[in-house]
Amino acid sequence: MIRYQGGSLEAFQEIYAELAGAVRRYLAHLAGGAQIADDLLQETFLQMHRSRAAYNPAYAVRPWVFGLARNVVLMNRRAARRWAQVHESREELPDFAVFPEADRLGSRDEIRRGMASLSADQTEALLLHHEWGFSFDEIAGMLGISAAAARARASRGMADLRVALNSLQRARA
Amino acid sequence: MIDRSPKPPEALMRVIAQDLRPVKPSPRPLRLVLRAAPLALLVSSLVLLATGVRGDSGILGPLLTWGASAAQFTLAIVLVWVAAHESMPAGRLPKETVYSTAAAALLMVVAITLSTFSLSPAGSTLRIAGALPVPPWIADLACGIGSTVAGGMLVLLFTWIFRNSLATRPTIAGALYGAGAGLAINAGWRIACPFPTLRHTLGAHGTAIVATVLLGALIGRLLGSGRTKSRTANNI
Repeated sequence: MIRYQGGSLEAFQEIYAELAGAVRRYLAHLAGGAQIADDLLQETFLQMHRSRAAYNPAYAVRPWVFGLARNVVLMNRRAARRWAQVHESREELPDFAVFPEADRLGSRDEIRRGMASLSADQTEALLLHHEWGFSFDEIAGMLGISAAAARARASRGMADLRVALNSLQRARA
Repeated sequence: MIDRSPKPPEALMRVIAQDLRPVKPSPRPLRLVLRAAPLALLVSSLVLLATGVRGDSGILGPLLTWGASAAQFTLAIVLVWVAAHESMPAGRLPKETVYSTAAAALLMVVAITLSTFSLSPAGSTLRIAGALPVPPWIADLACGIGSTVAGGMLVLLFTWIFRNSLATRPTIAGALYGAGAGLAINAGWRIACPFPTLRHTLGAHGTAIVATVLLGALIGRLLGSGRTKSRTANNI
């Protein structure tokens, strides 16, 4: 990031190559669709470029870019009132990797269904911690909550996911 | 071996390549705010240089005259620091901290106003007012407009400092630094103003603080909505 702030195009490409995949999945989760995620991904990196002076090297790049991606989704949601449309048009469950802690609890499809039953706050905290590996302090900085609240959201999310998966498995049996 | 790492689209690369001038990294929020503090103190003290210390400062004592203003100025800087954190995508403070700081600022202003009013009652106020060549309503206007203009100048300074703000809630961030500007100006203005009546304090000084909060919120909102339009403007 420091090289990028110094004017290196290669450094930007490296950051993109390193983060674009994970940021896209995060955007798909937040916005509820792969197509809009591609759109928002470009917007996130454009915002990153325009605001590269706002980055302080004392902080980690990854949570900064993820926070920026979240910011872009929220701003777009407000500006274009797209959020309602996204939810109205959401036909399929969001696609995300099944993180190791959840993998042993059920099939991929069951876990996706179970995740869909969680609150948006719980799902976000759960994914940020378990899928993208952020610490609770980093999640707290991104979401504007305390680290304890981030931990509570993720652990309650995991507990609720277990309950949801048990119900699904019982119903299937 | 095939490189499967994602590549930026051509349109995005074009925009990036057009503007690759080196930029100076932003300082940490505390350093950013401490840089602005001396200028805020200067703008806040201008009225003192023009009119001098209030006539009833002897009744109030140094703690309520200078100490209360110092505490209020410090809280103003804390509000700007909270706004600086709010402007970072990965450095936000918990919502409870943000709202409790804003509530503490409001309570402090009310407490200082009431303490000042109780120690400098209307009798001595009127004596002091009688010694002034202007009627109270002109003093109301002078304090209201003067501190709003000074607060507005400080809001513009903070807007420039936060020009790269990436706040998720830009209106809240703007309102916070607007409140910081209002409180900082009021910290200086209250030492100079000889009218501690509740009507004057709420009507003139209170309105000025509310005006800077609204101005900050409005600017924050405009800057926030301007960011969302940037992509369309770049045709990506």
